[in-house]
Amino acid sequence: MTIVEKGAEPGMKVYVSVWLGMVAIVAIEATLVYVHVSAGLLLASLLVLAFLEAAVALRYFMHLKYEVPLLFWTLIPGLLLAFFMMNQFWADAARLNALRFPAP
Amino acid sequence: MTTLSGGRVTDSATTLDIAHEAVHGTEHAVASEPSPFLISSKKLTMWLFIVADAATFGAILFGYGYLRFGSPNWTKPFSFSPNIINALVMTVVLLTSSLTMLGGVAAAREGRRGATMKWLGATILLGAVFAILHLREWGAMFHEGWSLSANPLGGSVLVGALFFSITGLHLLHVISGVIAILVIAIGFQTQRLTAGHVETTGLYWHFVDLVWMFVFPLVYLLNVH
Repeated sequence: MTIVEKGAEPGMKVYVSVWLGMVAIVAIEATLVYVHVSAGLLLASLLVLAFLEAAVALRYFMHLKYEVPLLFWTLIPGLLLAFFMMNQFWADAARLNALRFPAP
Repeated sequence: MTTLSGGRVTDSATTLDIAHEAVHGTEHAVASEPSPFLISSKKLTMWLFIVADAATFGAILFGYGYLRFGSPNWTKPFSFSPNIINALVMTVVLLTSSLTMLGGVAAAREGRRGATMKWLGATILLGAVFAILHLREWGAMFHEGWSLSANPLGGSVLVGALFFSITGLHLLHVISGVIAILVIAIGFQTQRLTAGHVETTGLYWHFVDLVWMFVFPLVYLLNVH
């Protein structure tokens, strides 16, 4: 049985537009560093821009936009949950390590 | 109807499918269910690998974040020029390689072998340029005294350890990708491999690009003095 894939080919014009958008995001990131914004604002801005760039890459370059929605819902929310858990619990793990009683 | 060597009789379409499966893998299996994702098994396998690998990179980057902000003597090793300029060039090179890979996938789907080879060749070239720029940067840092266990600025040795570990793992992915694309390109040209193989390899290459979108800002841009 040959699988007929759902995806449509968006074409090179769309890909070049997306590429230009991603290069623009990289330029914004570098500009933020060049103008020396505060550390907190820089971290927040870079994370937002990186996630935006990754979302665009997933949708267009990796064709997730053109696949059945079930593929997205099977793969991505679980991955984001894993990242959330790392964010929430690893800090506690490090803190608990420091709370250990000293060795006799 | 066709009689097989063991005396088993089957219809010609089934025989063709079995032969096709033997050559091209199980995606052409006769009695399998349709994929709920409507993609080939090798593409789904690549997606599962990508999710697992994304969790690996995520764990390493979260670990980097905790160690960075937990180190009071963290030092920022990079200056805007030449370090960030070099990293910017590497970023644009990698982004462009994703574009050429998309060209290769599109050409392969249309069965244009010559164009596919040109696009994949450009991707390999850009991937190699990225790796060379990266290794050149590493060489300059080693020359300055940076290593996995040494910080020439006198601060935390974790700076070098984390930088070389994270960028090293990514560079390993880039080099593996370049070799994979080369193998796939040769296989496609000699008609041993299909457009599906090119597309699946492209998926991996875009993932390598995607990881860099986090490595570049977090490891380079946040460490400019």
